[in-house]
Amino acid sequence: MVGPTASLTPLSRADGSASYQCPSTGSNILGSVNAPIELPGRRDALRPEDATVEVFVKPGTAPGGVGERYVEGIIKNMLTKLILGREKGYARRGVVITLAIVGGESVGRGDSYLTLLPALLHTALLALLSASVPLSMTFSATVLAVDASGKITREPSPKEAATATSLHVFAFSSNGHLLLSESQGPFEFKTWENVHQRALAICHGTLARSSDGDVAMAEDVDGQPLEGALREVVEDKIHLDYAWKIDAP
Amino acid sequence: MTDRRRINGPPSGTRPAVFAASLNSASNIATGRPQRQRQPNELRKIFLKTGLIPSASGSSYLEYEPSASLAAARSSPKCLIPPSSALKLACTVHGPKPLPRSATFSPNLVLTTHVKYAPFAARKRKGHIRDASERDLGVHLETALRGVIVAERWPKSGLDITITILEAEDDRWWGDAPDSHDAPWGIMNVLAGCITAASAAISDARIDCLDLIAGGVAAIVADESEDVEAKPKLMLDTDPAEHRVILSACVVAYMPARDEITEIWLKGDSSKALLGTDYKRSGHEALLDGAVDAARGAHSVLAEAVRESAVRFAGLAPGGGVMQ
Amino acid sequence: MAPAAAAAAQPAPPSLSLPPSQFARLQPHAYLLAHLSPPPSSNQPSIRANGRAPSQFRVTSANTGSLTHTNGSAVVRLGDTTAVCGVRAEILHTEDIASWSVSRPTPASSSPTGNKRRKLTDSTAKLSAESENKEEDGDDESQIQDFSLLVPNLSLSTGCAPGFIPGAPPSALAQSLSHQILTLLHSTRLVRAEDLRIWYQPPNLGPEELERHNENEQMDVDAPQGEVDLEKNKEIKAFWVLYIDIMIISLAGNPFDAAWAAVLAALRDTKLARAWWDVDNEMVVCSDAVSEARKLSLRGLPISSTFCVFEADAASGWRAVVIPDAEEEKELDDSTRKGIQRRWVLADPDGYEEGLSQERICVVVDKEQDGKGKTVIMKLEKNGGWAVDTKELKTLVDISAQRWEDLKQILEQC
Repeated sequence: MVGPTASLTPLSRADGSASYQCPSTGSNILGSVNAPIELPGRRDALRPEDATVEVFVKPGTAPGGVGERYVEGIIKNMLTKLILGREKGYARRGVVITLAIVGGESVGRGDSYLTLLPALLHTALLALLSASVPLSMTFSATVLAVDASGKITREPSPKEAATATSLHVFAFSSNGHLLLSESQGPFEFKTWENVHQRALAICHGTLARSSDGDVAMAEDVDGQPLEGALREVVEDKIHLDYAWKIDAP
Repeated sequence: MTDRRRINGPPSGTRPAVFAASLNSASNIATGRPQRQRQPNELRKIFLKTGLIPSASGSSYLEYEPSASLAAARSSPKCLIPPSSALKLACTVHGPKPLPRSATFSPNLVLTTHVKYAPFAARKRKGHIRDASERDLGVHLETALRGVIVAERWPKSGLDITITILEAEDDRWWGDAPDSHDAPWGIMNVLAGCITAASAAISDARIDCLDLIAGGVAAIVADESEDVEAKPKLMLDTDPAEHRVILSACVVAYMPARDEITEIWLKGDSSKALLGTDYKRSGHEALLDGAVDAARGAHSVLAEAVRESAVRFAGLAPGGGVMQ
Repeated sequence: MAPAAAAAAQPAPPSLSLPPSQFARLQPHAYLLAHLSPPPSSNQPSIRANGRAPSQFRVTSANTGSLTHTNGSAVVRLGDTTAVCGVRAEILHTEDIASWSVSRPTPASSSPTGNKRRKLTDSTAKLSAESENKEEDGDDESQIQDFSLLVPNLSLSTGCAPGFIPGAPPSALAQSLSHQILTLLHSTRLVRAEDLRIWYQPPNLGPEELERHNENEQMDVDAPQGEVDLEKNKEIKAFWVLYIDIMIISLAGNPFDAAWAAVLAALRDTKLARAWWDVDNEMVVCSDAVSEARKLSLRGLPISSTFCVFEADAASGWRAVVIPDAEEEKELDDSTRKGIQRRWVLADPDGYEEGLSQERICVVVDKEQDGKGKTVIMKLEKNGGWAVDTKELKTLVDISAQRWEDLKQILEQC
């Protein structure tokens, strides 16, 4: 399984940015974060002690429509809870996240954004980290498709997603909480539980408890857990940025 | 042109359904026109209720009694084409609230009226964006209400009145050719309904008014067959679908206690209309008096609805004294 | 929270006492919390500020068919939230569809566009087995999506709540609700494409007709063969396009459940006139006889239930250090079971409760075989927090299944 590739801070003018490609779903997202900034239309009455999070999703080929407003709402709702908007310098300011869909299939009228959602979330997370926005925890997300025979496909291509019975998106925090679950299409709760287990394994690896009670993350069929892959991207970037300091004697 | 903020239909557009009955017009259509079953001075019943929308400071819902033909069509449906329609609208009042910081100073209450048809309100599908007639209605409604509200009691404040029309009156009978009447008459009934409903909602919001203002419609119609001898008649609360030729119509906003009119909208030619010998006055005077009479009728319903609202308010706030 | 607790605990001087309505506005969080966790000494049950139990929905009523100029209409009241939905059908001629000649489905082989939506066929075929067996199969269901035959739009600019400016373009909330309704209409495949097609059967000429006629007589029992023959000449001349407009007249929380129930009730009420292709006029003409009009045959009855999570600790989520991880969370949950409850999952939140919670859960369920079969989830959404995990979701799905029964009765009575 080819894992996703990502790079941090490809844009020099934004406070933080990230680009993210997921080969299996074919999505390619470029994201930028500006924070903290003064918002022009700020309303004092609305939660004066907190930062305002704004998310914009720009589709690659067509102008944005109602579907983008919907996915913006989902991402915003999830990130608002993770961004520590009450830290010093953030209250009453804005955190503006812009996500541009650079490549991959565009989403049609009335189609769900589910296949793109994990890529959008990951890009947002990496861009937030790149902008050093304080977060209570990080997360990783994945999308799974279940076909009529009950087979679970990880990160389906648009074609596979179109033939699937149900689609499921999960996001897990670095502490193991279920942060987001978006499922569509007819399915039973048992199916959901199976998919949930699989998604947890993809994001966090299989939890193997050894006899002495140690918890170890093991790799399995799904390869490296997504959580680790994202962490590595950030670690690599930090290593690169501080190479002068590390390599210096 | 697609609207990116809404869900659009097929790009090539769609056509409204065409009924076979309206294609071969000569045959069965003549019998289909609904007949007015009421006396010339008899009004339709009005259902008016306040306080249905708790998040607004004041609200009302108004519904006209369906005409005899519509009621018959409802109880035993035969034809998919409704013979006529009955007004249904919801009105909300938000405020008084502070004006936005960017607004200029105003020593009075700033009134904003907004009338919008639901897309499914009329026989022809309405667009999502307000058209000229809807803006026109808003302006008429504002003039009608501005004279009633004691605006100087709320300096630097705004009052938003929003009316959503769920079902509008027909402009003419559907079987008539679209250009057989020169003017859209249904809009006048809609305006009368808007005035009455807005008045109830304003009272429900406890905004000081000079009086309860009510809307009324009267029209001069030349009806009943092709008889040349037949004199045009004055009718109150006309349903345009029930009349073949409406010569002129008038809507007033009237305050019964002060005997004042804040808004007159008169359409058509009433000067040439010679009423029967029992009318001593000229056409437009008779028309105005008729509309005032209709408004008086609506006023009695209005007064009852407002009384109900007051009772509810008194019952809701037993500790009113504590709240200052 | 501190001043609120103080006000509740100590006998404050009379000048400081506030009526409940003012307290609710000044300290909304403490107000709701005080209702949900009454002091053990008072012996009061835990109840929401609006008097409902945590998993209780508001009183729901539905009324259909009252709007004259619609093909189907419904008014649904969910407590103080009111949604009016009107369905208007208009005609889309296939000659107006730019891609029609390209993607034209030939009855014998399934069209290229037909494959796209095949995905759902198997599962839902099982789902409503009896009703669907007469249909050849849902492989042309994609026409609904490809040709935009369903056009739902929700409007909040009706003065339904103070925040929405009338006349302004649809707010982000209205747009995302419209999108959710459209996606749900597509993914549940509620409306059948066959109901929206207007067919034209050109008159048969000469020997072919005779032949077919004979064939039909011979194979009276074995009808499908004859039908395939018949289908050869049949072509789709037009589609009905359903404009589904939802006006939220009054908004007091949970607009989606109200809007979806209104859409469902209005579609159940929708009648389409008998329509045919008139060769002389080159257009589609409808019959105005009510007896000839037919209702839509919908697939299933998906019903949505929305929940929100109210946290006892108003600061949870921004005090980074105190967030326990998932494992600890479970243990904490068990240990505090008897003691103080930390959070409540509230069904059908009103506007006041929505303002106090971030985490939302929306479950859309249907039941197979008209309620006798097992529960099928059509959509499950949860975001904005981490309080709800597998165990809680399972409970919520069960509550939603219960709600399905209640709402089914309400929709069937109207």
